[in-house]
Amino acid sequence: MITFNRRKALALMGGTVAASGLAAPALAANKKIKVGALRFTSHSGSFIALERGYFADAGLDVEFEFFQAAQPMAVAIASGDVDYAVTAISGGLISLADKGAIKVIGGALQEEGGIDGQKYLISDAAYQAGIKTLKDLDGRKYAVTQAGSSFHYMGSKMAEAEGITLQFTPLQKVGAIIGAMKSGQVDGWSIVPHIAKPLAAAGAWHMVANVSDYIPNYQVTTVFTSAKNAAEERGQTEAFLNGFKRGVDDYAAAMIDGTADQDAMVELIHKYVYTDRPLEKAAPSIINGTMRLSTGAALNVASVQDQLSWFQSEGLVDSDITLDTLVDSSYVETTGA
Amino acid sequence: MDIRLDGIGHAYDDFEVMRDIDLEIPTGQIVCIVGPSGCGKSTLLRFIGGLEQPKKGRVLQVGAPPAGCLNPLTYIFQDFALLPWRTVWGNISLVLEDHGIRGAAAKDIIDDVLARTKLSDFAEALPKQLSGGMKQRVAIARALAVKPAVMLMDEPLSALDSQTRELLMDDLVDLWTRQPFTAVYVTHNLAEAVRLGHKVVVLSRRPGQIREVVTIDKPLAAREFSDPDLDRYQKDLWHLMREEARAADAELIHV
Amino acid sequence: MSESSAKPVSFRGGGFAPRSVRWIGVTVFVALILIAEWGTRSGWISALTLPKPSDVLDTFRELYESGLLFKHLGPSLSRLIVGAAIGASVGISVGVLIGLFSYIRSGLVPLVAAIFPIPKIALLPLFVIWFGIGEGSKYALIAFGTFTPTVVATYGAVDNVDRTLIRMGQSFGLSWWSIVRKIVLPGAMPGILSGLRISLAIAIILLVAAEMLGAQYGIGAYILEAGSLYDLERLFAGVLILSLLGVIVSAVIGLIERRLLRWRI
Repeated sequence: MITFNRRKALALMGGTVAASGLAAPALAANKKIKVGALRFTSHSGSFIALERGYFADAGLDVEFEFFQAAQPMAVAIASGDVDYAVTAISGGLISLADKGAIKVIGGALQEEGGIDGQKYLISDAAYQAGIKTLKDLDGRKYAVTQAGSSFHYMGSKMAEAEGITLQFTPLQKVGAIIGAMKSGQVDGWSIVPHIAKPLAAAGAWHMVANVSDYIPNYQVTTVFTSAKNAAEERGQTEAFLNGFKRGVDDYAAAMIDGTADQDAMVELIHKYVYTDRPLEKAAPSIINGTMRLSTGAALNVASVQDQLSWFQSEGLVDSDITLDTLVDSSYVETTGA
Repeated sequence: MDIRLDGIGHAYDDFEVMRDIDLEIPTGQIVCIVGPSGCGKSTLLRFIGGLEQPKKGRVLQVGAPPAGCLNPLTYIFQDFALLPWRTVWGNISLVLEDHGIRGAAAKDIIDDVLARTKLSDFAEALPKQLSGGMKQRVAIARALAVKPAVMLMDEPLSALDSQTRELLMDDLVDLWTRQPFTAVYVTHNLAEAVRLGHKVVVLSRRPGQIREVVTIDKPLAAREFSDPDLDRYQKDLWHLMREEARAADAELIHV
Repeated sequence: MSESSAKPVSFRGGGFAPRSVRWIGVTVFVALILIAEWGTRSGWISALTLPKPSDVLDTFRELYESGLLFKHLGPSLSRLIVGAAIGASVGISVGVLIGLFSYIRSGLVPLVAAIFPIPKIALLPLFVIWFGIGEGSKYALIAFGTFTPTVVATYGAVDNVDRTLIRMGQSFGLSWWSIVRKIVLPGAMPGILSGLRISLAIAIILLVAAEMLGAQYGIGAYILEAGSLYDLERLFAGVLILSLLGVIVSAVIGLIERRLLRWRI
């Protein structure tokens, strides 16, 4: 079914105009742009693209703006302080899209069978008290950073599948959640493997399931930009995506497919991630944190739609918002549609 | 009950402010203490009241306080020291409460002292509603309520204007005439001293010593405003004090 | 002197005595809200910058009609009341002790000065470990935040109690406890109450921080959720509730002041 609304029409028109512009050598070289990033391995696509000169090849002079959390990054995109960024789909992101401020233009981190993904956890205290499976978490405290965060989504999808109810407990920061899990003040959580595994080994919690078992093909993070960039700066946006895609390819080749030198890649990523630790200590975490970044920044729109619908069903975002409001699908290949 | 001062001396660190003061305060008399500023009159009064301790000498109570006396040595302050959050009634009941006097017993006492100080109509007033003279009457009523053996009055009229001062002096004379009380009355005002004092003690400037004790025999009730006899006393006292006052005035403040 | 050289002395007093003019405050409020409404409706202020005041009001109405308002307000009020009551009562007690005893003063004044500037929010994780993520840490945070300003206000107020009144009490042979209860405490009351004004405002500020961790319901949690969802209408509705709470607390203290401090000029 095709819903053809005004926004879509505008996007199409914008697309046409930009496409016609592309025929000419699009961009003056070294156009300065700002890319928002968190110091996580999942942001490696951008790091590699900059380090290996892929952005420069695309005619972009990229400067990173580092953030502590995804939320302020989304706001920085909306305010125009940052041009492009990669982050999880959150309620805040959808609200900003609804206000006409931002657009999702591509996919990044994706759960994929066969590659270690995010884990559901049960705290050791709860485990010792007899909570051995996710089903046993019924009525228990489940940690999230904030209402409407990706943790909230993952917990909620799991609860729905298990037919249980959870007490979602907002703790703002991952660090605070880890503390609360260790001290047994919350009972369940989900997190990326490189955080989940070492502390599971240390006995702080137990990994009981994979997120991908409950949410197949979960599009965890997406590439997004301001609505203005998506509509009016088509050349620049495509240039950014081109650089980013090459970075993603290199990442997959080195870290997943084993067709390139992994050590060199780890060393490169270490320039941005775990910089406070020496390389030999950071390397295992970087390798453990390996996840699939969508090739060609392909976007799983089915997953995005599922997430959007969940936010709407929880009353966290306006129920009138359509996928087209959130996503500009004219840039990358979409899957699952 | 009499009060006897026995060789009182005092110093702040090495700075001597008072020396060898011997004085007898007999029952039923008002003893006025006058002196130039800084001679330690108020300090002497605090020694008598037990609010401060002299370095040398002793303050003695001679004989037992009269029956029913709740607070033998009772102060009246220059700035009245009324609790602003209590009514006239409440300010007086304050000093009775700690002696376990409440209810009807307190009412009898308070009604009596309010009547004696002509304050019966103001029982429910707050201090802020009263003039300075009225406030000091409340303070006097409060002092009377504890049936003191000796009233220690520290410049009680100094904060008042001269007309009010005259009125209050009349009131004090009336009070004494109806029921003689013992008082030590510190003042820098010679007119007050000769009007109210049976004895006037003149202190010298620092270190404070007794210069002279003047006895005024004329009965209190017979003394009047600008009484020629009193004027003579006042003039004599002024002669005694003039040089001291001048020197005291020229002195550097030491504390 | 001749009449011609006489002229009236020009008036040069006056001024420097601001008084509050009725309705001006309300007018300023209304004017600002109208400007915001007009600006957002005409598009001169973008939806990203400021929500429509009428939408905020709608959100507030929905919140009220759905009963969620009281579901949020209930826990917040109980946290505020319990936390502030603990903080203020301990603060007043410690403040009075500091005001009365040399050793306690020497021991505690530097300590209070040291903990006063600590942003209490920074200690939240610590409180969570000490008191758990339940109500305990929330009470503790609010109590701790109200404690320090109350202590400082209280011992300042005790210091300012007229010493002659205390001497008067002693001269009438009042017991130590009577002097504290009947002279020191009422005398310090104006200072304590104006200190409470500040500490209760701080308590409301800290409510949002306290509800950062592990609160499913509460005005602070509601505001934080709205913030993370970038839902400006809800954000402003929540802020509106906090403001109203502040106005109510201030009015209640004003009422207490008028009752307890009738004696002041």
